[in-house]
Formats: sequence, structure tokens, C-alpha cells
Amino acid sequence: MADRTPLLRAEQVVKHFPAGLGASVKAVEKVSLEIYPGETVGLVGESGCGKSTLGRLITQLLPVTSGNIFFDGVDLTKLRGEKLRQYRRQLQMIFQDPYSSLDPRMTVGDIIAEPLENFGLLRGRAKDQRVQELLKIVGLNPYFNNRYPHEFSGGQRQRIGIARALALRPKLIVADEPISALDVSIQAQIINLMEDLQKEFQLTYLFIAHDLSVVRHISDRVMVMYLGKIVEVADSVEIYRNPRHPYTKALLSSIPIPDPEVQSKRRIVALAGEIPSPVNPPSGCRFHTRCPIAQLPTPCADQEPPLEDKARDHRAACFFSEKVPVAV
Amino acid sequence: MTQPALQVKDLKTQFFTDDGVVQAVDGVSFDLHPGETLGIVGESGCGKSVTALSILRLVQEPGRIVNGQILFKGDDIVTMSDEEVREIRGKDIAMIFQDPLSSLNPVLTVGFQIEEAIEAHGKVPGKMALSRAVALLKQVRIPAAESRVHDYPHQFSGGMRQRAMIAMGLANSPSILIADEPTTALDVTVQAQILELLRDLNRDLKTAIILITHNMGVVASLCTRVLVMYAGRIVEQGPVEQIFKDPQHPYTWSLLQSIPRLDSDRHDRLLSIEGFPPDLIRPPRGCRFHPRCQFKIDRCLHDDPPLLNVGPDQDAACWVTMRRALASNGERRG
Repeated sequence: MADRTPLLRAEQVVKHFPAGLGASVKAVEKVSLEIYPGETVGLVGESGCGKSTLGRLITQLLPVTSGNIFFDGVDLTKLRGEKLRQYRRQLQMIFQDPYSSLDPRMTVGDIIAEPLENFGLLRGRAKDQRVQELLKIVGLNPYFNNRYPHEFSGGQRQRIGIARALALRPKLIVADEPISALDVSIQAQIINLMEDLQKEFQLTYLFIAHDLSVVRHISDRVMVMYLGKIVEVADSVEIYRNPRHPYTKALLSSIPIPDPEVQSKRRIVALAGEIPSPVNPPSGCRFHTRCPIAQLPTPCADQEPPLEDKARDHRAACFFSEKVPVAV
Repeated sequence: MTQPALQVKDLKTQFFTDDGVVQAVDGVSFDLHPGETLGIVGESGCGKSVTALSILRLVQEPGRIVNGQILFKGDDIVTMSDEEVREIRGKDIAMIFQDPLSSLNPVLTVGFQIEEAIEAHGKVPGKMALSRAVALLKQVRIPAAESRVHDYPHQFSGGMRQRAMIAMGLANSPSILIADEPTTALDVTVQAQILELLRDLNRDLKTAIILITHNMGVVASLCTRVLVMYAGRIVEQGPVEQIFKDPQHPYTWSLLQSIPRLDSDRHDRLLSIEGFPPDLIRPPRGCRFHPRCQFKIDRCLHDDPPLLNVGPDQDAACWVTMRRALASNGERRG
């Protein structure tokens, strides 16, 4: 993170989805974040926290309700048509499900070539060569270009999805749960591949996942989301050693460590209940209904804690962050 | 050693598909002791779920148990009549599944479905069935059980549905509960709650639990013994501490090395197991893991290793074993 000019900056981004009868799902609520060139930012949270929606807002696959997203200093939310399309080249996405994200009627070669064609970049032999090169880059046989997705395993399909995302030489790749549909023994292959590609092509990643151990492994910095808000941001060592938000703490302690000796000594911070509905989120701090250290009603239920610096490069949105117990 | 609660002997379950015979479970044997928590861990298609389904004779066409015995209280479940199996199913051995939403009937109340489970194994007066259902919901820690018993499944959250499924499984105080990926569809904080519940039920009710999962962390937090399956076979088995500390089969070892650990600050490259699991219509000759094994020797290519004792209570199906592999590779573990 030598370069302190963010590649991407989101400011007060809001996304509401209509939910009928005048109600709305408040999927993302006033989120601000920066992603710096060459880093991997992990975005973690439980289902329904808004992490995937935020990823789609950043790649402009969904329009924001309000707020701004600056990429290389340009506000993408103000761009339309051809101008936006040109920026989209630099923002690519890798999806969770390698089965439904590849068109079963297209050959692998055509799938990978499609972005090249959309932008009229390469034709004929040059295009075929690029496709074969991309297949090789992601560790597949370059002569597989005439095969169809069903002929590949889950891990191989995810490689195809990665090759497609790389085709346009993007700067930022948003990977939304890229390994959670894969078998354990295949997950490491894809993580290693993504790390190799990052070094080779100076990629910047936003890595979205629910599994904090995977996110910690691949990320330089980790952002934790809860019910549409970012509640904590810190580097991946710090967030584990010294969580400053009680939700992060609970999330960390809930993840079972594959070591029975370590696991038996851990104290689990059990959270009561489950994530509330984003249609009608709790007042004040959205976590106060499940928080083990909340002071009710004041301030936790009537004021919203700002995401603020708690230490160097460590922000958390909690009034009582010094009370979050340390060590897992 | 006490009499096992369940004995599985040389179980083979196959699926007769148009493409050929899938050898989904191929010669699996193990004992489950009363009150024990046994994990069966492996990747998709390794046969762990089919093993569980076979125990309750729930394997669907074109699948069939083609060999072996499943002994429960001295009787062989494999050769029982359908009626005899129904007697055991849900009463002595209960099963809960990954997706509680599709396992519950959406048009019946949760209470009604639990009462049904109770009444399936004997007449119980309506009032008593209801109060038993409420008690069961309390036992699985559903708040306001007296009123929630009248709710429909869609009114429950994901975690509560899984609790309701567990309540249903416990309806007839079974001695064995088979839980097939019970937390896979749940968020981690809810997973932690369900694991704690299963741990308490095992301790308080002495119900033996067979936990089927792909998650090594889940095994580490709940089970005392573990079977590791690969391509239809058990490749390693033993006490959880032993298997996690000193795995002897290269597959177990590699799997543990390939998962990022939450408590590790070292950003080492993950070990990756190359290739992917074999097609069980035409499994590889010799050891089924050999095409992906970095420690294989010539013998592995044609000679199928049986489960051999490699430590206290620990068996591994490997001609090499990690002890020898690591010794000959120096300190490659680092």
C-alpha cells in the first residue's frame, strides 16, 4: 500500500431495493470505503449483510440509490452509455457459482472471447491466440477452447470464469465468494491461482466471502459488514488479534478452527438470535439487538456509532470498542 | 469396550446409472459406540452422505446396497423388511439434513410435524403430544416455544428451522442421531449455536451422533472420533486429536494443510491438492488417491492399500504413510 491514492473510493453509497407496499430493503446504507492499487481488500459478513450488493455497486452492475463511486478519480455513478462501458473494462467480476455463471451453450473459447468481442479488441487469429494464452494463464489446457462448460469440473469452471475476467486486462477484480461453491481440496488451488495472477498482472482485488479464515488469508485489509453497514476495517493481522467491534469478535469466535486442542480451549462468544430484517433495521447501532456489551437504550439503541479511527489504520463503529474482549 | 451401538461391515452402495455403475460407497466398515460423537468428513461425492442414507435404508433408485451388514442391536438393517426399518427409523435412529426448509412441510405447523413424528411410533393422546412438542422445542432452545409451536416453517429463521428439525429428530429419544451437513446452509454465528446445541444434547441425553460434514473445523469442535472418506472409501480413522495432530494418510494431511486457519498469521502459500476426485464409475486402480498424491510409490499404482493400524486406535489406508513420507522428505512441513 505504498501508493496512497485510492484506485477506488466509495462515498456514502446507498442501495435500497423496493420490497412492495412502499417498504424497501436497505441493503447498503451510507457505506464509504477506499481500495488502493495492488492490495486485496476482504469484505466479510453473513448472508444478507449487503456484501454482494456492495460488490455489484462497485462494478456498476447495479445502479446506486445515492452516493458516489470514484474509480481512478472519475465518478462512475455520473457516467452513462459508452463512457461507462469503457470504464467497465477495468472492473471485472468473478462469481460464486461456476455452474450458472457460464453459458452452457457456448464453448469455453467463445465465453472467454466474448468480452474481447464486446469491446471490438481482437479478431481472428489474434483473438484465438489471446484465448489460448488466457487458458494457459489460469492453468487449463489451451486446446480446451472448443469444449463446453459441462465438460469441466467446478474448479476448472472457476478457472474459466477467471480467464474471462482477465480478458480485458482489468485493474480491479471483484470476486464474490469465488471459492465457496468449491470442494475444500479445490479451494486452495483457486486461492493460489488468484494470488499468482495478482503478482503477475498487478491486480487489485475486492474479495467478498463469508469465511473469515479464507478472507484473512488472502487479504491485506479486511472490512466487516453487518446489516448494510461496514462496522470494522483493519489489516488482516490486526483484525484478528485486536477486534474493536463486538460483531467482529463474535464472528471470529464462531469460526471453528480445524484443531481440536485449540478449539476446545476457545471461548465462543455466542450471539443471541439471527440477523434482523434489512427492511426494518434496528435503530441506533444496528447490532444492538444481538450485542453482548450494548448499553441500552442510550446510546446504542438511539444513536448510530460512526465508523471512526480506534488505532492506526483501524476503524470501528462502536461506542464501547475498548470493551471488546481481546484474544480469541 | 462396550457393545457398539451400530456396526457397519463392508458396506457397498452402488448407483446403477445409464453411464455405468457408480461405486459410491465401496467397502466401508466402522463401529459407533453408545454416546459417541463420530465425524465422517470428506468432499462432495466421497460417499459420506450415501453411507448415512444407507444406514437408514434411505438410498433412492437407481441406488442400492449391494453388500455388507449394518448391525443395530444385533439385527441387520440391510436385510430387514421395510416395515422393520420403519420401526427403527425416527425412533432408534433419527436423521437431520442440511436444508431444513426443504425437509419441513410448508403447509403444516412446526408443532404438528413434531407431533406426527411422535405419533409415528405409538399412540399418544393429542394433548400429551402437544406438550411433548413444546418440551422438545424448549429443549432445542426455541424462545416462546408455547406460541411458536403453532408457527409454520416460513415463520422460523434458518437457524430455528434447523432447531425444529433437531427437535423432531429427538421426538422419540433415539439412541443415534445422524446429522448430514446440519450447519452448512447456516451462517457461522448460527452454526456455532447449533454445534453448541448438539454438544449439549450429546452430553445430557447421551445420544450418539454421526456428523457428516466437509468442514474440518466443525469436526474438530464437536467430534471425538473421525472417519475421513475419499472416493467411496475410508482412508483414515481415529481419535480426533490424533488425526488432526498426526494425520498419516496423505489425503488427510493435504486437506489439513490446504485450509487457511483463522489463527494463523503466517501468510504461507496454501498447499493445494492437484487434480480432482475420480469418477467412481471407473475409479483408478490401486489406491484411489494415487493420481493426486505427491508421496506415491510404484506399489500405489496397482495395489489397493487396506486400512492398517498406524497409531493408537488410528488406521490409515496407505502404503507410505506421512511418517515415512515426511521423514524421507526432510523437514518439508516447515
